[in-house]
Amino acid sequence: MTTIARIILSRIGQALATAAMLATLCFAFVHALPGDLSLRVAAARVGDERVTSETAERIRREEGLDRPLIVQYGQWMGNLARGDLGRSLLSGKPVTAELAYHTKFTLQLGLIGWLLSYVLALPLGIWAGMRPGGAVDRATEALAVTLASLPAFLVGIGLITLFALTLRWLPPAGFRTFAHMVLPAFTLALSLVAFSIPVIRNAVVEARSAFFMTYARVKGLSPVSALRHHGLRNAAIPVVTFAALQFAFVIDGFVVIETLFNYPGLGELLVKALVARDVPVIMGAGLVIGFAFALVSLLADLARLWLDPRELAEARA
Amino acid sequence: MTMLLEARPTRSRLPGAIWPLAALAAFAASGPFLAPYDPDAQDLLRVMEAPSWHHLLGTDHVGRDVLSRVLAGAPQSLGLAALCVALAASIGVMLGLSAANGGRFTRAAIMRLADLMLAFPGLLLAMLFAGFLGGGIWPMLIGLKLALWPQYARMAEAVATGVLREGHVEAARLAGFPERVILLRHVLPAVLRAILPLATFGVGQAIMSISALGFLGLGLKPPTPEWGATINELLPFLSEGFVQMAAPCLLIFVSVLLLTLAGRALATQTTGLNHD
Repeated sequence: MTTIARIILSRIGQALATAAMLATLCFAFVHALPGDLSLRVAAARVGDERVTSETAERIRREEGLDRPLIVQYGQWMGNLARGDLGRSLLSGKPVTAELAYHTKFTLQLGLIGWLLSYVLALPLGIWAGMRPGGAVDRATEALAVTLASLPAFLVGIGLITLFALTLRWLPPAGFRTFAHMVLPAFTLALSLVAFSIPVIRNAVVEARSAFFMTYARVKGLSPVSALRHHGLRNAAIPVVTFAALQFAFVIDGFVVIETLFNYPGLGELLVKALVARDVPVIMGAGLVIGFAFALVSLLADLARLWLDPRELAEARA
Repeated sequence: MTMLLEARPTRSRLPGAIWPLAALAAFAASGPFLAPYDPDAQDLLRVMEAPSWHHLLGTDHVGRDVLSRVLAGAPQSLGLAALCVALAASIGVMLGLSAANGGRFTRAAIMRLADLMLAFPGLLLAMLFAGFLGGGIWPMLIGLKLALWPQYARMAEAVATGVLREGHVEAARLAGFPERVILLRHVLPAVLRAILPLATFGVGQAIMSISALGFLGLGLKPPTPEWGATINELLPFLSEGFVQMAAPCLLIFVSVLLLTLAGRALATQTTGLNHD
C-alpha cells in the first residue's frame, strides 16, 4: 500500500505546485501591468465612463491595494490556501459559485465527448491492430493523421456547415436542449480520436506479438479468445496511461469548442475572463483545470497499477 | 530495420521530407508579395461577394479581398510558428545539454522544472500570457515557448546522457579535448538529429496553437490577417461565405498536414523506427 500512498502524495504535490505557480503568475501579471489597478477594477465594475477618482480610492481601500506588495502577496496566497477565491470583478458573484455553475457544463460535454471518442476509436484501433499493414490499418492511419492535422475549431466549423447550415438537422450553437450537445461532443470526440486510434492500434500490435499470446495459441485457444482473455488487458495498459496525457488535448479542445459553440462551460468562462482581465475568475478557472489535470494523472497511475500487477511488485521492490 | 539502425543517417534520402518544408517556407516568405490587392483595403460596396475573376476567393464582410488576406497572413501563421519552435527547441537543447553534462544538482533542478512545466496544461499558459499582456506577437511567443521547451529539454537530456557514455566521447575526453568541444562536436549533432522530427511536428502543433489563440481573440488581433483571427472575423458570416471561410481553414489544414507527414518521415529516417 505504501506505493499507492506515495503515488497519491506525489500527484497532490504536483497539484499544489501547479496551483502555487498559477497563483504567483496571476499575482505577478496583475501587478506588473501598467496603470492603476484600482482604476481598472473600478472601470470593470461601474463602466469606463463613470469612473471617478473617489470610486477608485474606495476600491483601493476595500481591496487593500494600498498595502505593500509582499503583504498583498501573502494575503493572496493565504486566501487561496483557505479556498477563498474572492469575487468576480465583472459580475460581483463569488468565483466559487461561477466555477461550480460552469464546471458542470464542461463535465457533461467532456464526459460525452470522451465516451464517444472511445466508442469510435476502440473498434477502429483494435481492428487496425489485428492486421498491421493491412488495408484497414492504412485507412485508419490516414484518418488519424488527417484528424490530427485539423485544429478543433476547424472540425467544429465543418460540422456546423454540414449539419446545421446545409442539412439543418441540428442547432449550430447554444445549450438549451440535448440536440445542442451533439455537435460540440462530436467535435471533441473527433479531435480525441486522432490521438487514441494510433495508441490503441500500437498497443494491440504489441500485445499480439508478445510471447504469452503465442503460448495461448499453442495452448489451443482460438485467436479471438486468446485476444479477449490475454491480449486486451495487456493492451489496455498503455491506453490507460495515455488517457491522462490526452486530457491535455481535451483542455485546449474544450476551450476552443465551447467558445465556438457558445457553450457555457469552464473554457468559455476562462476566455471571457481573459478578455475582460477578470483576474479572480481567471485564476479560479486555471486552478480547476490544473487540479483536474493532476487528478486524471493520478487516476491513470492507479488504473495502470490495477491492470498491471507487475508494476506494483516492481515499485515495491 | 536493423540495417537502417546501423547505417549512419543517410543524407541522400533527406530531400523527401525537405521538399514540403521548403515549399511551405517559400509560401510563407513570398505570400505578401503575391497578394493581388492591399489586404487591408476595404470596399463597403462589395461585401461578402462570391468568388469572381476580380476576387478569386471572394470578399469578406468589409469588402476586403480574401485571397490577398490569406496570402498576407502566411508569414504570421507559418513564420511565427517556426520562430516559436526554434526558440523553444534552442532553450530546450541548451538546458537539456547542461542537465546531461552538469552535476547532480543542476540536472535535478532543470529536469524537475521541466516536469513541473509539463504538468501545466500548455495552451493555458499561452492563454494567460496572451490574455494578460494583450494581443500581440511577444506575449504569445513567450507563452508558447514556455509551454514547449520542456519536451525538447527532456529529449536532449536523454540523448545527450546516452551519447556521453559512448566510447568515442570517452576517447575524445582522454585525448584531452575540452568539455565544450566534446559537447559541440560529438553530443550536439546527435541531439539535433533526434530533435529534428519532433521540432518539425512541433511547428505543425504551433500553427494550430497560434491559430486557436487567434480564433479565441487572444492571439494576434484583427485587422492582422493571421489565419485564426481571419476565421474568427468570418465566423458570423459562415452561412453567406463558405468559400471565404474555407480558404484560411484549408491553408491551416494543409500546412499542419505537410509538417506532420514530414515529421513522421524524418523520424522514420533518423531512427529507423516507425513513429506513430
